[in-house]
Amino acid sequence: MNENLHASAEKLIAQERIEGISQSEREWLATHLRECPSCTQVAQQTSAALSALRGLPIPLPRGLAARTQFRVQLRAQEMREREPKRRLLWIMCAMSWALGIATAPYVWRAFEWAGERIGMPKLVWEMGFGLWWTIPALVAAAVVVLENLRQAHERDQAR
Amino acid sequence: MADDNKALALGLKRRDPDLLDQLIEQYQYRLFRYLLYLTSSRERAEDFFQETWIRVLERGHQYDSKYKFEAWLFRIARNLVIDWQRAKKMQSLDALTDPEEGAPMEFAAQNQPSPLHLVLTAEEKSGVHASLDRIPTVYREVLVLRFQEELGLEEIAGVLAAPLSTVKSRLYRGLEALRGAMQGGAA
Repeated sequence: MNENLHASAEKLIAQERIEGISQSEREWLATHLRECPSCTQVAQQTSAALSALRGLPIPLPRGLAARTQFRVQLRAQEMREREPKRRLLWIMCAMSWALGIATAPYVWRAFEWAGERIGMPKLVWEMGFGLWWTIPALVAAAVVVLENLRQAHERDQAR
Repeated sequence: MADDNKALALGLKRRDPDLLDQLIEQYQYRLFRYLLYLTSSRERAEDFFQETWIRVLERGHQYDSKYKFEAWLFRIARNLVIDWQRAKKMQSLDALTDPEEGAPMEFAAQNQPSPLHLVLTAEEKSGVHASLDRIPTVYREVLVLRFQEELGLEEIAGVLAAPLSTVKSRLYRGLEALRGAMQGGAA
């Protein structure tokens, strides 16, 4: 029998299990398998391997689910306790932004006045004004980054 | 199914403790099995199992109800293993690529029996366990996801964050390797 036919049959045997094959391919394969003992053996070996894989027992560690549930509950409690702090941080940040927007014209004039008074170049006091605006966001970002680093450290220690 | 997933997503977003307990019970076997095949180590699989559920708690709001929960769960577990592996500077995750492209991810030392092998009974060592233990992790992983977890090809691609063509190619090679390994074991 043509070697190409065996190669095609073997490909279809795998394809049937991995992706599925068309009706005509299935019929061709069935006809080929009736006539070809070696490909029939490949099909049987493949079925046996998959059947063994599907029925494979894995011993589950005793109490794994209970231990995990306990850890998850502890972590959930920890997160709940931290939530108000985090919320307060965002509220303060939002208030700071609102206040910043409301007072922006006055702060601008104050920076302008101070800049002229001490003879500072315009670009420098304008940059100072920009920095003034970003301070709340920078503080909030620093708090979040530090918090995340601390959590990662705790996780590493727990592992 | 879609409604179930939506309810699940909502519960995860709320960090519903009862839901999490129930999910841990429900998926314990499947997740542990996947991690065991991925890490080849019972202790590490246990650690990653617990860590995975902590991540599920922390990132539950990221679960998209359009997808199967188990695919998302396996992806979290896989990413944890990858992060750990990267941290240990053993291999990059793309070493979970084809063996032709680089060394496959294996936690067991080359010249020693793998921890997976050590946890098996003598009977199991002579069977499919031993055959699985002989094939590269990249193939073992897709075989487990396809034929034990019965995930679809696209779902597996999602778990692996790999193209569909890669998943298919690994499955074909993995199936051939498994058949070969089982034949070798039987011989």
